[in-house]
Amino acid sequence: MIALESVSKRFGSKAIVHDLSFTVEKGEIVGFLGPNGAGKTTTMRMIAGFTTATSGRITVAGFDMATENDEAARKIGYVPEHPPLYDTLDVTQYLTFIARVKGVSRGEVRSEIDRVATACRLESVLRREIYKLSKGYRQRVGLAQALLGKPEVLLLDEPTAGLDPGQIQETREVIRSFGEHHAVLLSTHILPEVTLICRRVAIISQGRLLAIDSPSGLQRASEQTNRVTLTATAPAESLRSELLSLAGVTAVVTKEVPGNAHMLNVECQTDARDGVEAAIARAVASRWDLLRLERQQPTLENIFLRYVSQSPPESSTPE
Amino acid sequence: MNRVLAVYHKELLTYFRSPIAYFVVAVFLVGTGYFFTYNMFLSGSASMDETFRNMGILILTLLPLVSMRLFSGEQNGRTMELLMTLPLKIWEIVLGKFLGAVTILLLMTAGTFIDLVPLYLFGNPQTTTIIAGYIGFILLGMACLAVGQFFSALTQNQIVAALITVSALLAFWFIGHLQNFQTSYALRNLFGHLSFALNFADFIQGLMRSEAVLFYITVSAIALTLNAGYLQWRR
Repeated sequence: MIALESVSKRFGSKAIVHDLSFTVEKGEIVGFLGPNGAGKTTTMRMIAGFTTATSGRITVAGFDMATENDEAARKIGYVPEHPPLYDTLDVTQYLTFIARVKGVSRGEVRSEIDRVATACRLESVLRREIYKLSKGYRQRVGLAQALLGKPEVLLLDEPTAGLDPGQIQETREVIRSFGEHHAVLLSTHILPEVTLICRRVAIISQGRLLAIDSPSGLQRASEQTNRVTLTATAPAESLRSELLSLAGVTAVVTKEVPGNAHMLNVECQTDARDGVEAAIARAVASRWDLLRLERQQPTLENIFLRYVSQSPPESSTPE
Repeated sequence: MNRVLAVYHKELLTYFRSPIAYFVVAVFLVGTGYFFTYNMFLSGSASMDETFRNMGILILTLLPLVSMRLFSGEQNGRTMELLMTLPLKIWEIVLGKFLGAVTILLLMTAGTFIDLVPLYLFGNPQTTTIIAGYIGFILLGMACLAVGQFFSALTQNQIVAALITVSALLAFWFIGHLQNFQTSYALRNLFGHLSFALNFADFIQGLMRSEAVLFYITVSAIALTLNAGYLQWRR
């Protein structure tokens, strides 16, 4: 439904987005991750048709955004970072305007507004002026606007930013139910959100695509290095040298357990070979008391931080 | 056309839900009423000539307040992103907004009809001259709004948009005076043709010169085209 083919965007001599290619298929939600200033919003704006790409090709529902902007716009529901609302209008007037522009026929405007109001839980504020609404409602009016006219593609730029946990939960449910039949591109800062509702994740930094895969795929790919944490009663120095002497252990950090001078929390970086944990356990337990030992799966957060911190400005995209 | 109407409808709603439209219409009507009364007692003749001239200057300063929010407000309220990504062609946005502003102009014009009541009650005015004057006034107002709408797209600050527009309109109004300082026939002619005031003066006297009609329509068309072209270019 959404396809980017080596899309670049530069403002003057400054490249904001560099050679970006990915697709979003019907029926999937793709999470779009990146630090601030990575080019997420610019990419969203290019797909939505607010700005044009400097080079490359963007197609939405088969329409080229450069030449068939108008046809494509009917297929897109777009929620910008700041909900684009007319403060002086009330919610119904606002949604009526959007519905009519999107070509909803006069007779169906009412039922269409009811449909999106129910989906976004706005029934109680339909007659209220927008400037009187709380942030959560404003965000949801922005979402409702995008759902009008049953678009096939939904572009959401940080739709849950600034909401309270209950509202986030509700908004996620709306997005999740929408993702079953549509193509959704969701940019966000909130990493658990991605694991919860996205089928695939695209990570970008400095305008380049660093990785695109399912959350579990990304986790597998970064399992070449593992982390083993343990707690033991032992003298710090000798425990450290003992652990480092084991095959597979690459780094050890020890920290005293607060309140107990004899106990240590230890973090070992290990490579992926099997049995490293067992070797560590044997080595520690044979000389001291081993209280806890755990092998930690990399979280999406760690993966994300690793990708982003590893990307040197001018390197090519790692796979 | 449906989409132009949707934009138009939204513009009108926005106008009437903010105090600016009421303020502009009220100030305009009070001002016109004052000038009308003053002129009538001063000249003692049942005509709108002087009043039309005053109305012309009055809208030069008031219409920029109507046009300033057309695009500046959208940029400031971050709704420009919405307008440009909805299935709207740029000319549909530009036209819908322009028609919305012109409707305010027509309301202002209709408000001045009350001045005609004493004119017809106590005097014997020339109806055709008055109609010509009103047509000229509306054409002048449309040109002012189109120029204002273009400047409004250039900045997200409404005050700046209004100030630039007032300056530009005053320049167009007074450019005719430069004629007096020119010996070159071509330049005198050019200044005369470009003058908002001199073109308007014909209408006031009851002359509907097609040249003058065309002038105002051309100015509006050029300003709206520049407006649309600028938005397209910025995309």
